[in-house]
Amino acid sequence: MNVLEIRNLTKKFGDFIAVDNMSLNVREGEIFGFLGANGAGKSTTINMISSLLRSTKGEIVILGRSIASDVQFAKMNIGIVPQDIAIYEDMTAYENVSFFAGLYGLRGAHLKERTEEALNFVGLGDKQKSLPKNFSGGMKRRLNIACAIAHRPKLIIMDEPTVGIDPQSRNYILNSVKQLNRMGCTIIYTSHYMEEVEEICTRIAIVDHGKIIAEGTKEQLKAIVTDTKNVWIEVRGGDHLNINSVKHIQGVLSVRLDDHMLKISSKGEINNLNLILQQLIQDRIEIRSIEEQAPNLETVFLTLTGRNLRD
Amino acid sequence: MNVYNIALREIKSSLREPRTMLFMLAFPIVLMLILGTALSNVFSNFTPVDNIRLLYSNESGQPQLTQYWESFSQEMGRQGIDIAPIASGQVGREQVREGQYTAYVELKADGMQLYGSSKQSIESNIAQGMLTAFADRYNLAAAAFRSDPSKAEAILANAGAVTGGEFIRETSLNPNKSPGSIDYYAIAMTTMIALYAAISGSYLFRGERTRHTAIRLMAAPIAKGELFAGKVIGCTLINFLSVLVVVLFSKFVFQADWGSHYGIVFLVLGTEVVLAVSLGLGVGYLVQGESPRAVVMIFTQIASFVGGAYFPVESDGSFMGVLTYLSPLRWANTALIGAIYTDDMSAAWQTIGLNVGIAAAFLLISIVIMRKREVL
Ligand SMILES: Nc1ncnc2c1ncn2[C@@H]1O[C@H](COP(=O)(O)OP(=O)(O)OP(=O)(O)O)[C@@H](O)[C@H]1O
Ligand SMILES: [Mg+2]
Repeated sequence: MNVLEIRNLTKKFGDFIAVDNMSLNVREGEIFGFLGANGAGKSTTINMISSLLRSTKGEIVILGRSIASDVQFAKMNIGIVPQDIAIYEDMTAYENVSFFAGLYGLRGAHLKERTEEALNFVGLGDKQKSLPKNFSGGMKRRLNIACAIAHRPKLIIMDEPTVGIDPQSRNYILNSVKQLNRMGCTIIYTSHYMEEVEEICTRIAIVDHGKIIAEGTKEQLKAIVTDTKNVWIEVRGGDHLNINSVKHIQGVLSVRLDDHMLKISSKGEINNLNLILQQLIQDRIEIRSIEEQAPNLETVFLTLTGRNLRD
Repeated sequence: MNVYNIALREIKSSLREPRTMLFMLAFPIVLMLILGTALSNVFSNFTPVDNIRLLYSNESGQPQLTQYWESFSQEMGRQGIDIAPIASGQVGREQVREGQYTAYVELKADGMQLYGSSKQSIESNIAQGMLTAFADRYNLAAAAFRSDPSKAEAILANAGAVTGGEFIRETSLNPNKSPGSIDYYAIAMTTMIALYAAISGSYLFRGERTRHTAIRLMAAPIAKGELFAGKVIGCTLINFLSVLVVVLFSKFVFQADWGSHYGIVFLVLGTEVVLAVSLGLGVGYLVQGESPRAVVMIFTQIASFVGGAYFPVESDGSFMGVLTYLSPLRWANTALIGAIYTDDMSAAWQTIGLNVGIAAAFLLISIVIMRKREVL
């Protein structure tokens, strides 16, 4: 069964197309990764799913019902973890969760039980009476999650829930996501941390310029790049480097320079390493190391878009 | 239930914001104390009427008017006002301009002309008030004369003898009861702080946006109307609560006079808070970006200034005088002074009507814009 179906979804801001005719299905029990660079349109898509934004065109169906026909039903079944921490700093952790859960119709003893459950789940059970003002970034992020799950939504949408936090909190959150999934929640997980997505997501869509440019399991996505070869060359004096001259070498698909790392992907069947090295020597570039990369999501992204995920 | 929860949260949050509470409570109370004591002598001695010198000429040729004027001027004389007929060779306006007289009155067949001194504006205002009272009374008599001459006699006779002091009384609020400085500033600071509710109004939804909690509110299965009502009610209640505290504090600590009509006093203040919150909210929606706060701040400052928050205002027909009428504070102050000191509720009801009407307009604007917008 599909928890979410998106059909031909488009969002324009004026003339700018942020989401471009996107179609997508998320099945029950999935942790669906939404991968894309800054400004790719991830948040915009998520905001339309959670009816924060109106779509310019297209349809969104939650658990078989179109949100256009029954927005209350959609809202009841979705929990949203916003990209920016969305809590009241002057209310205790307990009051925050309880207030938001109350908006979903929970009352009395039931509300109390679910609030405590959510706080315990994110490891803030002993901080119920504390004000988030005094929380660390990681604790705030966890409270941000607790506020989204107390009403036990079927679909939880997390928009970069791990931005800017310590590794410990990050692991905690990633484990919580897995556990929520085991408890039966379907999750949409947005990030530009490749490793996270690779670790927890069962299926991944790569978004670029408002479009899904690839979709599948990690294995399926990596298979896209098996016919390409990725070589990373650490160089010194990269300022003199003429990237265009490398680009024109036979078989080269994309080239980019990050700090001292020259990242080149080429067609798999062509052996052009000699030509590349010759060019670098000719340009008087000092070569410090050469490394062939096994395909990962980063190289997939790089191959598909010619850009790094994080610019 | 949602409305209740949202309102309650709003109130809780405000109560925990010590800076706001301090501002809404300590600020007016301290100002009350400072202004009330520093400016007390402005209030203690009202302009004595014996400074008033009135020059007149009577060219009306109407015995009735002349007779009435005589009895009027005798009475005024007893009250300590100098009234003199113009001597031949004198030019009335020149005399006033040179400061010999407070005002010059010309009685003519078709009416009365008054030239007041701009140097002695308070005195000439009093003179004007007296003459208006005189003219009203005379017109009444003249109207009566046409139908029943004997009644007219009675009205005129009465005017001179029995209620002679009334001419002066009508110009000041009430001879026995008028606000002292702490009384005045208790009212003025309270209405001012009620107007400051506009600031929290302007921040009501923008605050949710900057905290990003707007996202959760919009994603929750509640109607926008519930959210709107809850927040407006919460904000109004908490601001009204602080107004209430200021009133009680000034009454019991400063012994300020709040009269005996508490119902109407709180109705004026309550509707003023509603007006302020709606105004702030409306500006918050109408003005883009970060400027609503500035707009509301400037508005409340100007309204306070011209509305009599820092010193009592006189409306004298000048630009500033007209401006004062645009200040909600001026309405509220007039209404409260009327209700407290002269038991006169007419200004209060007018103010309540104005407050509610304007508030409704701003709420409507906000609702329309909110419904159109995607985000809060
Ligand atoms: N309200 C808006 N008005 C105009 N343009 C917008 C608006 N919201 C988003 N955009 C634009 O739409 C594009 C997609 O933005 P979106 O926030 O969906 O990106 P994202 O994939 O979530 O990026 P990030 O990783 O930075 O969160 C961006 O170019 C952004 O500038
Ligand atoms: Mg985003």
